[in-house]
Amino acid sequence: MTYLRYIIVLFAVWQTNAQRSDFNHIDFKKADSIALSYSNETLHNLPDLTSKLTANLETEVEQFRAIYFWVCHNISNDYSWYLKNKRKRERFKDDLDQLNSWNEQSRSRILKNMLNKKRTICTGYAYLVKKLATLANIECEIVDGFGRTSMIDVDKLTTPNHSWNAVKIDNKWYLCDPTWASGIPNPETQKFMFYYNDGFYLANPKLFAINHFPADEKWLLMDQNAPTFKDFIDAPVVYGKAYTNLNGHEAPKKMHHDVRKYETITFKYELAKSVEADDITFEIDDGYRNKKIHPKTTHQEDSSLTVQYQFDTTGFYDVHLFIGEDRISTYTFNVKG
Amino acid sequence: MKTLFTSNAPKLSIQLMKPTLVMALILCFFSTSFMNLDAQNTASKSANNVQESLLKGIVADENGPLLGVNILLKGTTTGTFTDEKGAFTFPKALKQGDVLVFSFVGYDTKEIKLVGNLTMLKVEMTSDLNEILGTVDTNTPYKSKRSKRRN
Repeated sequence: MTYLRYIIVLFAVWQTNAQRSDFNHIDFKKADSIALSYSNETLHNLPDLTSKLTANLETEVEQFRAIYFWVCHNISNDYSWYLKNKRKRERFKDDLDQLNSWNEQSRSRILKNMLNKKRTICTGYAYLVKKLATLANIECEIVDGFGRTSMIDVDKLTTPNHSWNAVKIDNKWYLCDPTWASGIPNPETQKFMFYYNDGFYLANPKLFAINHFPADEKWLLMDQNAPTFKDFIDAPVVYGKAYTNLNGHEAPKKMHHDVRKYETITFKYELAKSVEADDITFEIDDGYRNKKIHPKTTHQEDSSLTVQYQFDTTGFYDVHLFIGEDRISTYTFNVKG
Repeated sequence: MKTLFTSNAPKLSIQLMKPTLVMALILCFFSTSFMNLDAQNTASKSANNVQESLLKGIVADENGPLLGVNILLKGTTTGTFTDEKGAFTFPKALKQGDVLVFSFVGYDTKEIKLVGNLTMLKVEMTSDLNEILGTVDTNTPYKSKRSKRRN
């Protein structure tokens, strides 16, 4: 047992920071353009599709990239089906028979839509990535778990609601989320639109864990500092753009805060690329109106960004961090006198 | 000539179709006699164990025949799909040791190595996509629900 524990710890330590920057020396342009050149391919001949996507690529990471990029750009999200599935799963969560029967029904519809319309929901994305990767002899798993967005009510987050992938590249496990990378619902029509977000490819496990908590915790790919499910539930809301701007979200660790007037609140981030102080803004919403402010204290050292803020009026505020035009994260502050 | 088949693939069931077997034996008998006219051809064929007829088969899951299953000769782009009855005829004569890859969205990919002179293959596919979950990402900003007291 002790040995096993050592091995697990070693394994976990070795896994830390398995992220995209491990491949900074590789330009994904070739893999991406191969994937784009096969946009008209269907899912009827998976071995053929896999070989088209990977045959001219040398490295595992590029082969996987082409597969992932193809899935993200060609499979659309069946948003209305997602809403229906969510309702049904919530209704049947305590009734295993009903849940299984619903799963069986939805399964055949999902397969038909995936094959004939290239349309699915997230397990379908993760499934296709795994399927194509496996055909290319790349070890890849579907990770089921909890996904959290600004629209998810955490009090109702009791059963897994999301799936993503873990992939083994050059003997190391990495995380990616093809569903969230592919697009978002159009803010006006609420219909799915392709809007590729590159930040979810081999994302930093620490950042990933803020809004992805796997049912099997080994897929956190983190050492003993791994967050608990409670940490995940308490964490701030982070948006897709956090993944393109940040490598890590260090502080605050929580979404909701009770503070005093003039108390200093510290925000700390690991940046993916350096930013101008002017690009950092807070949008502060008091329930009546929004105001955008530039925090007075920002400090950047290497890739580490620290921002400090004090409220000078009492009230209840939603605070959104922006980098440039990108909404990064949200916190709430109940400010007392 | 004996019709024989075995397979390494798990959960594979091959059904011996009796009329087909008789037909195959008759065909074998005739073709062997005809092929004696072309001794060289026969020699090379028997060396590679090339099938005299095209391989036919049925692909199904536990609920019945599957339409659109892709069947490829491994390492090539030669292949075909099953029809609405789950049936297929492989377009190329196969030989012993050839591997057929059966793939279909929602099912485990299956590889079947041909042993002996196969004429009829029945393949059962098992599903590999069971639980379906879904959440989409959104850029919609978080907004606190505010009670009247707070306002």
